[in-house]
Amino acid sequence: MGHESGYLFHIFGLGVTSKITTMWAIMLLLTVLSILATRNMEKIPKARGVQNSLEMVVELLLNFFSDIIGYEQARRFLPFLGTMFIFILVSNYSGLLPGAGHIPGLAAPTSTWSVTLGLAATVFVATQVYGVKALGFRYLKKFLQPAFMLPLNIVEQFVRPLSLSLRLFGNIFGEEMVIAVLLGLVPYFAPIPVMILSLLFGFIQAIVFTLLSSIYFHEAIEESH
Amino acid sequence: MQIDLNEFIWAIINFLVLLALLYKFLWNPILNTLDKRREEISSNLSSAESMKQQAEEMLEEYKRKIAEAKSEAQDIINQANRAAEETRNTMMSQAHEEAARITEKAREEIRREKEQAMKEVRDEIATLAVMAAGKVLEKSMTKEDHEKLVRDFLSEVGEIQ
Repeated sequence: MGHESGYLFHIFGLGVTSKITTMWAIMLLLTVLSILATRNMEKIPKARGVQNSLEMVVELLLNFFSDIIGYEQARRFLPFLGTMFIFILVSNYSGLLPGAGHIPGLAAPTSTWSVTLGLAATVFVATQVYGVKALGFRYLKKFLQPAFMLPLNIVEQFVRPLSLSLRLFGNIFGEEMVIAVLLGLVPYFAPIPVMILSLLFGFIQAIVFTLLSSIYFHEAIEESH
Repeated sequence: MQIDLNEFIWAIINFLVLLALLYKFLWNPILNTLDKRREEISSNLSSAESMKQQAEEMLEEYKRKIAEAKSEAQDIINQANRAAEETRNTMMSQAHEEAARITEKAREEIRREKEQAMKEVRDEIATLAVMAAGKVLEKSMTKEDHEKLVRDFLSEVGEIQ
């Protein structure tokens, strides 16, 4: 990663890299789009309106998660899972913009392990919080079933964010490397097939990350058998 | 491969900030709208269901009422027929009785009239006979004989009576 991890500037003593500024740009974009789409919510939206399209996307996500963890839980976790999905998806795609990784301030946030681990960490914390909130002391007791599995159960909890973040980072980083190498070998058009594939992979990785997160949440709040 | 703690912390902060922003501007409004619509549709469906059920119940009730009314009307007609029959019978028997009574009365009258007439005739005959006898005897009887005869006759008459 070398030169890319150079800080552009510092805020509150925290170094800001190109990946972080790209994240901010994505956040700004998503927030502005959301505000525009939900500015005038109507009970019966126009057929071709922004609200209707957005409702379709939300319902698509809701149905997708409902199939895995049931409607009640999907409805409850959708803000978290949906935000994660959209964030990762747009982050992945930001790496396909021309000049990404070369222009200062523009680089796919998900192409570094630090960022994907940060995202996975929120999933890890959220899983524990949801579990304790739903089951209280019984959530902790689940780790003792059976008792000798306790170390393994705890290790599993910590392995999850590692696997989540490594899978996402590895895929996106790999794609970018392939594109960069191809671009170095044959300029202009050679990376186009790989970039089209990257659209697919970026989508799949966003789905996989949030899908696994939803299963972790589901598992955390279910009573032990 | 090493973790840049700055990026790690920023990623967490950024995600939480975006979560809050999208929660306020995307998920909350859209999910609320969807929830409301869902609720409304389900409540409309259930109210339609209950209205349909109500309509069916009412239809059932009206059918029952119509059948009741029909049978009631039939009852009334039957009753009226029976009452008419009864009245007819009563009137007929009354008429018969009346006729019989009138006949009886007339017969009685006739009998009484006849008796009266007979009696009168008999009296008349007696008077005439006496007068005739008197006329016959007037010439041959003395005053004593005549008195005696009248006394005898009177006593005889008295005996008859």
